[in-house]
Amino acid sequence: MIKLEDVSKIYKGEHIALRDATVEIEKGEFVFLVGSSGSGKSTFLRLLNRAEIADKGVIYVAGKDIGSLPSYRVPYLRRNIGTVFQDFKLLPNKTVYENVAFALEAIGRPKSAIREAVPQILDLVGLGRKDGSYPHELSGGEQQRVSIARAFINRPLILLADEPTGNLDPATSVGIMKLLDRINRTGTTVVMATHDRGIVDTMRRRVIELDRGRIVRDQARGVYE
Amino acid sequence: MAGSFAIRLAASTNEQKGSGPDLVAIRLDYVAKETGSNLVRNITLTLASVLTVAIALAFVGVSYLIGVGIEGSFGGLQSDVRMFVYMNPTATQDQIDSVRKALEKSPQVDSIVFLDQAETYKEFKRLFKDQPDFVESIDPKELPQSFRIKPTSTDSEVVSAVGKQFEDLPGVYRVEYASKLASDIKRSLDTLNGWITKFGLALIAVSVMLIFNTIRTAVFARRREIEVMRLVGASNWFIRLPFIVEGMVQGLIGAIVASGLTWSFDVLWKRNFVNQRGLDLLNNITWESSNLWIAVFTVLTVGAVAGAIGSGVAVGRYLRV
Repeated sequence: MIKLEDVSKIYKGEHIALRDATVEIEKGEFVFLVGSSGSGKSTFLRLLNRAEIADKGVIYVAGKDIGSLPSYRVPYLRRNIGTVFQDFKLLPNKTVYENVAFALEAIGRPKSAIREAVPQILDLVGLGRKDGSYPHELSGGEQQRVSIARAFINRPLILLADEPTGNLDPATSVGIMKLLDRINRTGTTVVMATHDRGIVDTMRRRVIELDRGRIVRDQARGVYE
Repeated sequence: MAGSFAIRLAASTNEQKGSGPDLVAIRLDYVAKETGSNLVRNITLTLASVLTVAIALAFVGVSYLIGVGIEGSFGGLQSDVRMFVYMNPTATQDQIDSVRKALEKSPQVDSIVFLDQAETYKEFKRLFKDQPDFVESIDPKELPQSFRIKPTSTDSEVVSAVGKQFEDLPGVYRVEYASKLASDIKRSLDTLNGWITKFGLALIAVSVMLIFNTIRTAVFARRREIEVMRLVGASNWFIRLPFIVEGMVQGLIGAIVASGLTWSFDVLWKRNFVNQRGLDLLNNITWESSNLWIAVFTVLTVGAVAGAIGSGVAVGRYLRV
């Protein structure tokens, strides 16, 4: 599903964010990216949906070399990759329903399809009754559920999560992880960057550890350290 | 297993491809809604852009009409044409050709233009359009063909000395000299109108910059939406189009106001100056209603294009997709 061959990313010609990374992630896997701040976790994720372009090496997503994708094709790549962030990135002037619907409007889906899909996905993430609320009226956990709903509404092949529990208390984080696990079990590959030791140690999934841009550990059913 | 999912990805992207170019897939109501809310959101900047476009294009429209009027009222007189050689209506082609040769050979002649009977008649009709009976009574064949001559010197004595050389050539009816005063007036009016045009063009440049700035601000105001749109895979044109349309709408609204101003100028000018006594200089400067339509059409086109350029550059610069 995802394959990196000797991938390096260097910012401003000096800071090496990722160094000769070679790794393969199978379809349906759940992978934790761990490492201290600045170790290259976010860069790793940003390379996968072509928010960044690798300076060296080749990245395959679903068998396609995404580095050679012309820029007008990039949106179509992103339709197959959902993304979730620590800060949710919800639009404050739109309701829960509108925030999720926006993901479908933006790719030109017809209104009828949107009216059908949005309530379904809101039920899935457990926010069926909050569709008219605005983000500032929701708790952090609820906001993250909205952002997951938005990321998953297209049933992407891959879900990228950059510290999705970084702003949440432990109890709320558990709920979010259950949701991501459920999404993973539908066959979606999940790659999640995290600092949350408890979560990694509890879930016992594949762990890839980065240190100053290098992959220093790649362990099936691993722990945080 | 990766292979089958590659196919799934390929199939889903092909499906997008099959639905035609990005532009077609974008719903018009979406673009209209987004453009509308952007225009309202930045109302002060939008008004500044629209008003500048309106003033700029009004100058362009009016200067075009005045330019047409000046050309008409001075009978196609080029400010440098100082001498006319009229041929007899009965002059033979040989006679005309030999006069042309003599003119071309003369070192004091800079350039010549020949008006045949058809062109002369056209101009004659225009000059006397208020007297259709008179125009009716004239047969085009009775009109003299003529050469319009731009001498190398503007000194009237030198010019008349040059003219004397051609008076006695066979077939020549007579030689006439443009009044220096008329030429000078026309030259002044041309200069004045040239400045109006330049001022209008400079203001168009200012309008483009203002529209550029308005769109840049709009892009900045909507950066969160844009980020999310990129994230969920909105096509580049889906993100850009509302901004470009916004710029074009600003240009067009300005152009519509400018068209109104140009039209008002047309009405006021014709009511107050044309064919009024006591304003010898101005009452001949007029134009056809077709010229007004050309002016309006040009103003609208330039407005839309200026808007598209301003917003297109802003989007290209500040909207990385």
